[in-house]
This record gives sequence, structure tokens and C-alpha cells, in this order.
Amino acid sequence: MIENYAILPCNGLDKCAGAISREIAIKLCENAKNEIICPVFYRVAEAKYNKIAGEHPLLVIDGCQTRCASKLAAEKNLKVSKKITITEEAKTHNVELKSNLRLLKNENALIEIILNGLNSAEEKAASSSDKTNASYNFEYETYQKDKFLFRVPKNPEIYFNENDCWAYVIGNRARIGVTDFVQQNLSDILYYTPPEIGAENDQFGEVGEIESSKSVIDIISPVSGKVVSINETLIEKPELINENPYELGWIAELELTDFESDKELLVGFDKYLEIMKKKLEDLNA
Amino acid sequence: MSETTFMGVERDKIDWNPTIDYTKCDFCIECTKFCPHQVFEVRKTENIKLIVKNPNNCVVFCRACSKICGPDALSFPDKNATTQRIKEIRKEENND
Repeated sequence: MIENYAILPCNGLDKCAGAISREIAIKLCENAKNEIICPVFYRVAEAKYNKIAGEHPLLVIDGCQTRCASKLAAEKNLKVSKKITITEEAKTHNVELKSNLRLLKNENALIEIILNGLNSAEEKAASSSDKTNASYNFEYETYQKDKFLFRVPKNPEIYFNENDCWAYVIGNRARIGVTDFVQQNLSDILYYTPPEIGAENDQFGEVGEIESSKSVIDIISPVSGKVVSINETLIEKPELINENPYELGWIAELELTDFESDKELLVGFDKYLEIMKKKLEDLNA
Repeated sequence: MSETTFMGVERDKIDWNPTIDYTKCDFCIECTKFCPHQVFEVRKTENIKLIVKNPNNCVVFCRACSKICGPDALSFPDKNATTQRIKEIRKEENND
């Protein structure tokens, strides 16, 4: 259950998704000990909320992709522990949002689905002990371009896609993450949105999101499979992806479903190094 | 800068780039500011102020611009269908 969180909703009053964000925040506070940060009042009188924000993990509820609540959190230097976007949730659950500002049957059904999802994800995360005992030892080759260093792991068990994500495959499991190319391009990573534990994922599906002050990117999974664990440390310390995106900054572990087929569209160390060098040349050009 | 191949397949054989829904787009051009690959072009003096100028510059499987689009005006082809098509093209080319 979502409890002891500070909740920063979008509260947009001119869109249905904003009205839904607000309602979810209210319900989370009615059902458990959570506290709302009013985004409007926070802008003009931050003292009231700084204490709440500093003492509790923060759940940000964005209405639409303009992500006003996320931007406010970034502006106030708040660490975001959890983040949802109502328009994305509506898409996932096949609910069409219209222009009504009053909450009707459809919207209330979506609110229930989102609340259940939030609470059960929290329970799964709390009880998740399904971590692999496999040990991951990385051997790197380093490539320098101007002042930037790029490590590329050369273990034969590691596969890459052309979207700059890697998978370290041991048995029927893979640990996945992004490469140095991604973290160097994004520069300081501020947020990590993990995939949901238990989610079934296709090859090239999105397994979370990382966001820096420069940009936001989807993590595009090299392999298909079920998410069995996530790197929870990144929620509090997403900067570990900058530090080392292969070891401390890994993203998630998946139980593989069709690795033989996935392999067709993956490359090994030699080829990925070549691809990355070309991308760096193109960037410079 | 355009990448010429993706997984060994010529980029222009892969149908992957954003479609703009002009009934939703409010020409805020956040996508243009966001995308580092010059996929979009702004045409200030014309009625339709935003177009997909360089579809082949779009990174296959990247949908990041649609994530930052406030009015939700950008959509992409089906990912699984695209994956399948890439595999088919690779097979066809290996058989040639």
C-alpha cells in the first residue's frame, strides 16, 4: 500500500487528466497516511511543504506529458521516488480521456485501476526477494572521444541492441541496463522510473525511463521476458547510472522467454563498439 | 545525422517515424526542441507549422518525443510488427 508518501499531483484544472490526478491524490490521503503537496501553493509558499517533501518519499502524479508536476519537483530539487502519468495510464488500460472536467463513470473506473496498480506495485516491491544470485563480472574495453570515456563490456555473455542497451545473460535470466553512450549523452541523470515487477515485456519494449536535465529516454529492452527484479537503489540514487551503468547502475532483471529469437537482433562487443564509434562520429558531425 | 542501417537493414526500408495528428498538435514545438536528430522541421510562415522532415533520422524503436508531447499528438508504428519486418528483411537479404 502507498503509505507515508508526500504526493505532488498535477492538479491541472483545464484537463480531464488533471482532474484525475487530483482525485487520486485525495484518495491516497483518505485511504492511508499520505500528505498532499499543493502544486499551486508550493510555488508561492514553499516553506509549508519543504518539510513534508524532505521527510517522505515523493510520489509525483503528472496529468499529461507536459509533466508540470515533475518539472516543479525538479525546480525544487526534490527526489522523486515514484512517478505516474495519467494519460499514459489511460492508454495502458484502454480508457479514452475526453474533455470533461467532472469525473464520470469511465474516469472513476480508471482511478480505481490506477490506485490498485499503485498499491499492488508497492506490495510487490516490498516483498520482492526474487533476486538472482548470479554474479556479474564485467571486463571492459575503454574508448576515449575528446574528454569522454566510454566503457564497453566485452564478456561474451553480454549482448547489445542498437538502442544502446545491454543484456548480461546467465541461464534463463538477463540483467539489463544502458551503456556509457547513453549516460554520457544524457549527462546528470535525475530520475529513474523502473518497470513494474511481473510485467511481461517484448523485445524492444520499454523497461522504464531515465531522465536528466537534458532529456528523457525510454530504456529499450534488448530481450523479451518477465521483469523479476529492479534495481531499487536507483530510485533514491539515479546518479549511479552515470557512475557505472553496468554494475551499480543496472536497471532490471528479466526471466527470458525467447532469447534464441531475440539474439537475431542483438550484437556482441565487437559490433557494438563499432556502432557506438559511428554514433559518436555522427554526433560530432 | 542519419544512421544508414539498423541491425544491418537499410534504414529507409524500416517504417519507423512519428506521425503528427494535426487535430491535436498545438505547434508548441517541444518535440523539435527535444529531438536531437532533426526529425522535425518548423515552418513558421505556413499553416502547418510542423512536419516530419527527416523520417529516416528517427532512431528505430525510440518514442521519446511522444512522451514529452503534451497534447499527445505523436504516434508510432506497431513495435512488434516492425521487429518482425526487420527479421524478414534480414532473412530475404541473406537468401539473396
